[in-house]
Amino acid sequence: MGERLRLGPGSLVGGLALAALGMSVATLALRLPPALWIDALASPDPSDVRQMLVRYSFAPRLATSLLCGGALGLAGALLQLALRNPLASPTTLGVSAGANLALAMAMLWAPGLLAVGREWTAMAGGLVAALLVLGLSWRRRLSPLTVVLAGMVVSLYCGALAAMLALFNSHYLAGLFIWGGGSLSQQDWTIAQFLTPRLALALLGAALLVRPLTLLTLEDDQAKGLGLSVPLIRLAALALAVALTGLVVGTVGVIGFIGLAAPALVTVAGARRVAARLLWSTLLGAVLLWLTDQSVQRLAGDFAEMLPTGAITALIGSPLLLWLIPRLRLTLQPPTGLGEAAARARRPLLILAALTLLLVALVGLSLAVGYGLEGWSVSGDLAEWRWPRAFAALAAGILLACAGGTLQRMTGNPMASPEVLGVSAGAAFGLIIAIFALNEIGRAAQLGAATLGALLALLAMLALARGSAAAPERVLLVGIALGAMFDALVTALMAGGDPRALQLLNWMTGSTYAATATDAGVALVAAFASLAALPLLARWLDIVPLGGAISGALGLPPRRSNRVLLVATAAMTAVATLVIGPLTFVGLMAPHLARFLGLQRALPQLVAAALIGGILMVAADWFGRTAAFPWQIPAGLTATFIGCPALMWLLARRQRA
Amino acid sequence: MPDEAPLFEIDGARFTAGGHTLLGPLSLSIPGGTFVALIGHNGSGKSTLLKILARQQPGEGAIRFRGRALADWGDRAFARELAYLPQVTPTGSGLLVRELVALGRYPWHGALGRFGAADRAKVAEALALTGLDPLAERMVDTLSGGERQRAWIAMLVAQDANSLLLDEPISALDIAHQIEILNMIKDLAHRRGIGVLAVLHDVNMAARFCDHIIALQGGRLIAQGPPAEILQPGPLEAIYGIPMGVMTAPDDGLSFCYAR
Repeated sequence: MGERLRLGPGSLVGGLALAALGMSVATLALRLPPALWIDALASPDPSDVRQMLVRYSFAPRLATSLLCGGALGLAGALLQLALRNPLASPTTLGVSAGANLALAMAMLWAPGLLAVGREWTAMAGGLVAALLVLGLSWRRRLSPLTVVLAGMVVSLYCGALAAMLALFNSHYLAGLFIWGGGSLSQQDWTIAQFLTPRLALALLGAALLVRPLTLLTLEDDQAKGLGLSVPLIRLAALALAVALTGLVVGTVGVIGFIGLAAPALVTVAGARRVAARLLWSTLLGAVLLWLTDQSVQRLAGDFAEMLPTGAITALIGSPLLLWLIPRLRLTLQPPTGLGEAAARARRPLLILAALTLLLVALVGLSLAVGYGLEGWSVSGDLAEWRWPRAFAALAAGILLACAGGTLQRMTGNPMASPEVLGVSAGAAFGLIIAIFALNEIGRAAQLGAATLGALLALLAMLALARGSAAAPERVLLVGIALGAMFDALVTALMAGGDPRALQLLNWMTGSTYAATATDAGVALVAAFASLAALPLLARWLDIVPLGGAISGALGLPPRRSNRVLLVATAAMTAVATLVIGPLTFVGLMAPHLARFLGLQRALPQLVAAALIGGILMVAADWFGRTAAFPWQIPAGLTATFIGCPALMWLLARRQRA
Repeated sequence: MPDEAPLFEIDGARFTAGGHTLLGPLSLSIPGGTFVALIGHNGSGKSTLLKILARQQPGEGAIRFRGRALADWGDRAFARELAYLPQVTPTGSGLLVRELVALGRYPWHGALGRFGAADRAKVAEALALTGLDPLAERMVDTLSGGERQRAWIAMLVAQDANSLLLDEPISALDIAHQIEILNMIKDLAHRRGIGVLAVLHDVNMAARFCDHIIALQGGRLIAQGPPAEILQPGPLEAIYGIPMGVMTAPDDGLSFCYAR
C-alpha cells in the first residue's frame, strides 16, 4: 500500500499559492517599481504606460486566471462526485470540446448568436456533448470506464469537426485557434467582472448540492433507498458543471487538465467530505491556473501573449498528476477484463473474409479513382503516384490496430490504445527531440528515436501504474497525463516560431500527403511482420487479460511475455506514428469495432482489428484526398471523422446477452 | 494420515509487509494425495500462505514442493504439477466455457506448441467430470456464480496437475452450490489421487468434506489433524478465540460446531 499523504489540502493549496504569489510579485517588479504598485491599481496615471499595463492587463489577467481555474476545479469536482468517477472532468467528458465546436460553428454560420452571448453558445454545445456522452453510456449504467470512453469519443469527434472547419475556413477561424488554446491575456476588467458574480452563483448552487451529493457517494440503489432522486441530482450537478465550463470556454477558451487534476489532487491530499472536496477543488483549481499563467508569463517573456496558457496547464499539471497517481486511492471494481462482453459471432471466418474483401475493394478504389480538375476519373495511370500514400495509410492502420489490441489485452483495459496511453505521444516526442536536437537526420535514426520514445512512455506508464493490480483507471490517468504533457511541449515549441514546427503540424494531424515510396515500403513490411507475428503471440494474448494470478498459475513466463509484448507494441506504434502522426485513434477504435462484431478470441479479434484499421485508414486517405479537392484533409483527421460515429453507434447499441 | 509423500514441506516460512508479519515463522508439512483444508479467522495468513505456495507472491524461508525447492521449478513445469485458483476470478473475458477450459492446457503446449488430440481429450474429460457438457458453448460471463466456479475448476482439471490450490472456492456461492463444488473437489481428490489444499471459511464444511485440517492463527500454526480432532471445543476455541460448542446431528451423525 502507498504511504498516506500527510499534507492536507490546506497546505497543498497554500504552498502552491505562495509559489504563484512569489512569481507574480517578481514579474510585477520587473514591470513596475514597487513604489508605484498601489497607485497603479487604485488610480493609475494615464500617461504612464507601465501603470496602465498593470492596471488593465496584468491585474485583470491574474484575476481571470483565478476565476477560470476556480470554475474549472469546481466543475471537475462536481462531475467526479455526480458520476462517482475519478476520471470525470470537463475535458474527459467532451464538454470543453463540445463548447469549442459550438463556438466555431456559430462563428461561421450564425455570428448573430455570438452577439447574444458567447457563453450561452458554449454552454449549449457543452450540454449537447455531455448529454450525448451520458446517452451513449446509459445502457451500461454509467459505468465509469464507459463514460470516459464515450467522453473521449465525443471529444475526439468534436475536435476533428472543429479542426476540419478550421482547415477550410482558416481565414475566419485563425483567431479561434489562438483563443481556442485558452489564452488568458486581457485588455481590461470586463471578463473578470463578468465571471465573478456567475462563479459566486455557481458556488451557491454547489453548496445546495452538498447533501444530495454526499448521498450519491453511496451506490445508486442505496441513495434511492434513502429517498434521493438520483437522476435529478445528477442532472443538476451536470448542468452546473456544464454551465461553469461554458462560461470559461466562452470567455477565454479551452483550458485543459485543471478540471481533472484539481479534484484528484485534493482527494489525495486528504479532503474527504463532499463540501471540503468542492471547496478545495475550487481553490486549488484557481491556484493551479494562477501558477501556470504566471509561469507562462515569466518563462515565455515576449511570447507570453501568443502562448495560450490553456495549452500549457498540462506542463505543470501532468507532473503533479503523475506524482500523485501511485498515491491515489481509487475505489474500484475488480478487473473487468475487456469490458462488457459483446455477443459472439457464429462464423468468425465469414466476417474476416468480408472485411478482407472490403479492404481489397477500397485499396482498388483508392488507386484507381480520383477527383481532379475535370471531375471524377477512373484510371490506372496515376496508381504510381497514389500507391505510396494509400499503402502508407494501410500499413499505419494495421500497425496501430495491432498495437491497440495488444495493449488492451495486456493491460486488461478496454480503453487502452497507443494514443490514449501516451505511447504515440512518446514516439512523437522522441521524434521531435531528434529533429530539433540533431540537424540532418535520416529516416532510420528517426525511427530509432520514435521507438525509444514509445518504449520509454510505455515503461513509465507500466511503472507508475503498478501496484493494486494496475487498475484501469490508474493506467488511463497516466496515459492522459503523458499525452497532455506532450501536447503542451509541442504547443510551446510551435509558439517559439521555429520553421520546423510547421512541418510538424502537418505531420501531427496525420497527413499522408508527403509519404514516399520508401516510407510506404518500410511501413508495409512492418505491418506484414506484425500480422505474421500475431499467431505466435495469440496464446499469450488470450491468457494475459485474465490477470496476473491466472497467467502466473498457468505457467506463463510473466517477465518475458510482458517484455516481448511491450517491445512489439512500442515498435508497431513507432512505425505507425512516423507515418501518420500521433493523433489518429485508429488504435483505440479498431479493436473495439472488431470486438463488437463478435470476435472475442485474441487471434480473430486482432486480425479483424488490423483489417478494420486498414479499411479506416485507406478510406480516410481516399476521402481526404477527394472530398475537398484541391484541399487535402489529413487522413488521421478523416479517420477520426469516420471511425467515431461507428464507435458511438456500437457503444449505444443494445447488447444481446 | 495418508502415507503419500508430502506435497509441501515448509521450513521457517515468513511474509512481512509494511513492518507487519502476516505469516510465520511457519514450519509445516502438508500431506499429498488428499483433500486438505486451511482454516483460520480473518487475517490469520491462510490466503497469504496459499499465495506463497502457488508462487503468486514471494516469501522467505525454505519451501519444498514434491521434494524440490519451490524456486527451482520452471514456470510451465510448475504449472503442469500444480494448479491454482485465485479467490477472485476475472470477468469480461468474452470466452466460451470450452475455450476457458482449453486455456488450462497452456502449460503443456506452451505458446507455440500444437493443440493436439491429447489436449482435446483432456478438455473433454474435464468438461464431463465437472458436468459442464451442456454449457460448453455458453459464454463464461453469462453463467451463474456456481456454474462459473465450476468452469474455472474445470480449467484446473484440464491443466492435469497432481495438486490443486484453491483460495476460498465456495465463498461466493449459496449452500447448494457449496455442497456441489466441495463434493466435486472431494471426488477429484479421492478418485484421481490429486492433492488439494483449499482455504475454507466454514469450518463445518471443512470438517465434512476434507481429510485433514490445518488451522492458522496470527500467521502461525495452531492446530492440525483429521477433522474429528479439530472439531472439538478445545481446538476450536484456540483457533477462533471465542467459546465454541460441538454437537452431533441426531439422524446422520454429522458433527458441527457453533459459537456459544
